[in-house]
Amino acid sequence: MNTSVAKLAQISFRSINFTVQGTPVLASELHTSAPLCRVVSGKYRITKKRDKPLTYEMANPPHYIAHRKSWNSWNTSSLKDGLRRSETAVEDEFIRRFMTGTWHGLVCSEVIIKRQFNHIRVAAIMRRAVSPTKMYFLLGYTEELLANWLQCPVTLELQTVDSFKDVVFKYI
Amino acid sequence: MYSNIVITRQISKIKCLCRSLVSIESQKTPQSGASSDGISPPVRIQRGPTDILQALSTTVGIDPTAAHYKYHDDPYLIPLSNYRKRAYALAAEAGRKAAIWIRDEHADLFTTRIWDPPLRKKTPYYNADPKIEAFSPKPIYNDESKVTEEDLIYTIQNALIEDSIKVYQLLGGSQGVSDELKLQLLQLLCFYNEKEPDSVEWLEERWFSANTRERQAATWRLGSLADTIFTSMEPKSPEAYCAIIQGMAKYYQAERAYELSQEAIEKGIPLSTGVYNALLGCIGFLREGATLRIEALKSTLMQMNEQGLSPNIETLSACLRSISVWGGGIQLQNLAMQLVAEFRELGIQPGLSAYYYLLCLFCKERGPRNNILSKILTDLESRERLEVNEPTDTNFFITAMGVCSDHLQDINMAERVHALLMKNNNYKLVGDAYKESIYYRHLVTVACRHAPFEKATEYLDTLIPNIYIPEPSVMEEIIRTLEVAGAGDRLAQAWSQIIVFGHAKRTKLVERLLSALCNCYEYQEEDVKEKIRSAAESILKHGETLEQRDESRDQRSPVSQKLSATALSNIIELLSDVSDKSSERWTSVETALNKLKQEQATGVPSKPESISTLAEKAASMGKLEIAATAVAYLAECGFEEAAGASARVLGAMLNRPEEEVRALLQEPAGALAGSLHPAALAVLHSYHLAKTGTAIRDSESSTSSESDSESSSDED
Repeated sequence: MNTSVAKLAQISFRSINFTVQGTPVLASELHTSAPLCRVVSGKYRITKKRDKPLTYEMANPPHYIAHRKSWNSWNTSSLKDGLRRSETAVEDEFIRRFMTGTWHGLVCSEVIIKRQFNHIRVAAIMRRAVSPTKMYFLLGYTEELLANWLQCPVTLELQTVDSFKDVVFKYI
Repeated sequence: MYSNIVITRQISKIKCLCRSLVSIESQKTPQSGASSDGISPPVRIQRGPTDILQALSTTVGIDPTAAHYKYHDDPYLIPLSNYRKRAYALAAEAGRKAAIWIRDEHADLFTTRIWDPPLRKKTPYYNADPKIEAFSPKPIYNDESKVTEEDLIYTIQNALIEDSIKVYQLLGGSQGVSDELKLQLLQLLCFYNEKEPDSVEWLEERWFSANTRERQAATWRLGSLADTIFTSMEPKSPEAYCAIIQGMAKYYQAERAYELSQEAIEKGIPLSTGVYNALLGCIGFLREGATLRIEALKSTLMQMNEQGLSPNIETLSACLRSISVWGGGIQLQNLAMQLVAEFRELGIQPGLSAYYYLLCLFCKERGPRNNILSKILTDLESRERLEVNEPTDTNFFITAMGVCSDHLQDINMAERVHALLMKNNNYKLVGDAYKESIYYRHLVTVACRHAPFEKATEYLDTLIPNIYIPEPSVMEEIIRTLEVAGAGDRLAQAWSQIIVFGHAKRTKLVERLLSALCNCYEYQEEDVKEKIRSAAESILKHGETLEQRDESRDQRSPVSQKLSATALSNIIELLSDVSDKSSERWTSVETALNKLKQEQATGVPSKPESISTLAEKAASMGKLEIAATAVAYLAECGFEEAAGASARVLGAMLNRPEEEVRALLQEPAGALAGSLHPAALAVLHSYHLAKTGTAIRDSESSTSSESDSESSSDED
């Protein structure tokens, strides 16, 4: 919910890069930018019955990032000489969808992704809805599949919580 | 982090800095010693990529309060019983296998690393950069695959038996494959006897596979692919002979192996040391009787000498393995010691397997006490590293600890063994999960029985529950030790441990715990007593939940056993020690007592005086029904204490001194019926029951003369 909006920038008009063979390469790169649509993005409407549960992350709108919130994706791609900015963003999105799909209905928080060298650490809070044996199966499966897909070591760091109510911050 | 900063100025300063850094670095390294001339720095030691990490990891010891690192660090996901440990580890591995299967099935999807549009793809099939073997899909061979000799080489290198057989057949069998490849395939098949080995990748499977000891029976497949390949090879090279003989001997096809070896010797084909080692293992199948076998052993060794082959460490362990299997006796023991001495002269130190076989031979459970273990330990402790040569090396530590526990019953020796295991990297020598549990079982048993109490509790605290979870028999041992030491606190904890470890259904263990709690109850402090009481109540409730579950399942035979009467009386004794009249313990006491009365417990209490004390206490507290039920139960069971107890209880109830009570009891019962409290009446009933063996109602209906005669036969 709170990843900054990705913006497709087509630089074809301003700088057309020619490769050695002379074929034009369209440098369409994904950029990660400051949040757009700042009035409505990342904010939740108050309900009549005041029973919509919000986690702490959801409750704090985007202008609180770096004040009361921190980021969900940690990597060095936005530093000077940082590499693979767009590929990292796509991989992160893949990891998030994979986690939500594999641990279906069990993920109670945002998926945090931290990269250190080539080691990817994925963290999330899960509900204790399935037995520990099943959780271990999903754990081994996710780690192995993501590692083979992304071709780097992946570790999962999960925390379990009794029910979704334990991560609710306020009701709106 | 080292960034690529290029320093363009002050190069001289940098040079000084580098020189000083180099000298500081080399001063820190102890291995290279001093410099040669005192001025120039010693040679730099080359460090591998992970050496610093390894050095750091040796400074961090084991944390006994944390679960093994293969388990996820979350309270819901930490296993606390043996069943769960196994289940969780194998479940994680099953997940990994599922992922690997998906990767291998859809190999075309898992080959890219850079998500490039088609224009940028560098190679047609695989453009992951860098290509990492561990993450790339493994080939699957089935009937349609196109194979070359390289595939055969690949499968042989990676010990994939079924795949290599498949590829071999696809390539055309004996005709289509070159001789050296055939030889390699033959060696592979002989080593594994055409059975797929446990893959190196799946650690947890190997760790938890309780490898049933390979029976010493002929399991070699006759007429199998290995035999056909061997016969098809013309001319038969020495390596082929060696391979097939060793394979047959390894899987106990002794006669064929021996025949083939004789054939080879007649043809003048040189055999290797490995062949003779394997043949030494088979001697037991070819000869019977200790003397003949010893002769055969010696003749094989002489043959080896004639051929000009020098023995190695495996020769020694093969000889000792055979000897240890043939039984015991002074003859074999002397032969073993002779062999060890001779090999030592040759410069071959016995390995861990050799010591394992020696222990098997000398330290039989019911044999005379033998101190060979201490000499073995001195030798092993003096070595810098323990090397692993054979798979049977992992048996050494469990046998050593077993010897300490059963044969020697010595805690100091056990500590030496344990220290040796914990030194450096030796923990890997414990083998697999089954061996680890046996090792710790012996260690805990010897610590409980023969170590001072503080040492035993130290071991228990560090090992349980993360490193080792005691089985029910070891749990009994621990309870006994705690009882002897009078540690009521720990005994109360033991009940919750029993539930967590999954042993709560074992009634015998629970009853043992209860009797231990009863025995050491009086000497405890007040808060410990309270803990013991709550443990007793919890045991009672647990028994009830188990029974309810049984009933709801509607099974023909109940799964769980009921608590015995002794256990229930123990519970009652513990729970009744409250001074507070309104405590809830009394309700539990009542429940337990009712259970006894309704004969829901097996047997009779072994200490009936506890019930009589309960009755008196209950009467003095004012819990008349409880007292009445207790006395009635005693009377029904026919205990001797029933009469005295009922008299005292009546006295307490009616608040009169004892002589008055006795006088009361002498009178005919009918007269008192109207004037007494119902509970007191019940006590009266049971008194008469105890005295006369018949109920009051019968005596009331009888004539007065009978009642007179009955009262005259009173013993009071």
